[in-house]
Amino acid sequence: MTELGRVYGQTPARFAADAVRLAVADAGLRLTDVDGLLTSSGMSGGISIDLQRDLGLTDLQLLSHLQAYGSTAGAMVQFASMAVQSGMASVVACVFADSPLQPERGAGAAYGTRRAPAGWWGLLGASGIVGANPMYALAARRHMERYGTTSEQLGHIAVAQRAWAAGNPAAQLRDPITLADHQASRWIVEPFHLLDCCLVSNGGIAVVVTSAERAAALAQPPVNVLGWAQRHPGHYLRRDPDFGLVTGAESAGPAALAMAGVSLADVDVAELYDCYTFTVLVSLEDYGFCAKGDGGPFVASGVLGPGGKLAVNTGGGQLSGYYMWGMTPLSEAVIQARGQGGDRQADAHDIVLVSGNGGVLDHHSTLVLGSAATA
Amino acid sequence: MNVGPVQRDEATTEFFDGTAAGQFLLRQCAEGHFTEPAATACSSCGRTELAFVPAAGGATLVSWAVSYGRPAGDEPPPRTVLAIGELDEGPWWWAQLDGAEQAEGPADGGDRLRVGQRLRLEFRRADGEYEAVPVFVLA
Repeated sequence: MTELGRVYGQTPARFAADAVRLAVADAGLRLTDVDGLLTSSGMSGGISIDLQRDLGLTDLQLLSHLQAYGSTAGAMVQFASMAVQSGMASVVACVFADSPLQPERGAGAAYGTRRAPAGWWGLLGASGIVGANPMYALAARRHMERYGTTSEQLGHIAVAQRAWAAGNPAAQLRDPITLADHQASRWIVEPFHLLDCCLVSNGGIAVVVTSAERAAALAQPPVNVLGWAQRHPGHYLRRDPDFGLVTGAESAGPAALAMAGVSLADVDVAELYDCYTFTVLVSLEDYGFCAKGDGGPFVASGVLGPGGKLAVNTGGGQLSGYYMWGMTPLSEAVIQARGQGGDRQADAHDIVLVSGNGGVLDHHSTLVLGSAATA
Repeated sequence: MNVGPVQRDEATTEFFDGTAAGQFLLRQCAEGHFTEPAATACSSCGRTELAFVPAAGGATLVSWAVSYGRPAGDEPPPRTVLAIGELDEGPWWWAQLDGAEQAEGPADGGDRLRVGQRLRLEFRRADGEYEAVPVFVLA
């Protein structure tokens, strides 16, 4: 990963190129070993398959740009794993980068730009629904009304993840916060306070996927890709009885765990996409860490955070660590599975569950990763 | 509370003709299924021949959120209530809930909105040469 956060003066393409170089070197490989490249970009775009040219990669056997919003990172690893399994490519670099932050401009402005006010999108904007905040707030409110979930319960997620971030040198926000801080932080869109919402970050992160045989001889402890699944419910801006209540994780989770040959009880660490505190809560329910509707009392029971029963978002996540879409949970999952988490390393880290979530709970990916011990 | 400016494009010509006449046009297939206005195929049966049919205008509250604008000086930030309404015909719609700013007090105070509350569609227009925008009001 590159330097992350308020890092200015670089284009997304430059961040992406740097991230690939860093990941390849970290693995103990050379750029000439790379024969597959999957690229992805955030809302500021600027990344395409032209990255091949920027990196000087020749004779690639796999090259594509993927876009499944927050589920893209998981989707890239899935595509890369299938490419390696099929013999299509042997070393596939998967990269995401973004640079929405500009100097002298607040983070809120990064994604708040109103689209050209015409057509259906213009109508949504004219109705006051701009960006992801209102849509996720509507989802969270529905959960609250159905199950009694409270803002304070969401706050427990923010507090726990900030406590984890204290141990992560790459995290943007590392000072501890309390539940009172969460409640006192300004409203963004009710029921979300500022501390319910993710950061905005510049930077790039890449991972390299290769065969288990080859990985065993490289510079880092291998991380096995044991299982995966995607779900795309397809109800965006349509009547959806599950809106805010159930996500694609409910069915993708069991599918990915079954493919990995493990059960939920085997999961040591969960790195869950956390664009908002609420996304963590609903994902915990959908994966089955608690019963549907019990997410509020569950997260308020002290189960999260360092020393808690369940190691969730151990690097601080997108709320306190850095916001690199699905690369945030994926990168922390790799660090934990390798046992390289330093002050924040989870004691048990053989099976790591990774979620990706895109759109407004519209696109989901699950990965089940395993430490070297699972080979 | 004001709606923002919006202009029509090719995909929204009929819809905005409807809002200009005080109608909220749904799409309806030959089977009688109603679908959201932006749909190009029936969400129930997939038919692509869809008529424009005015909604009756009644709805119930599915969910809501309160958006905060940028505060000007010492004034409290302007609040806008946003809602998902389930139209009586079935489809959902996302719009402002005009007049509910006081009903939905900050946090847990005040008379709170509730799921299932009756709503009615109305139309508002931003200043200038812009289209009429549907909003919900409390019925």
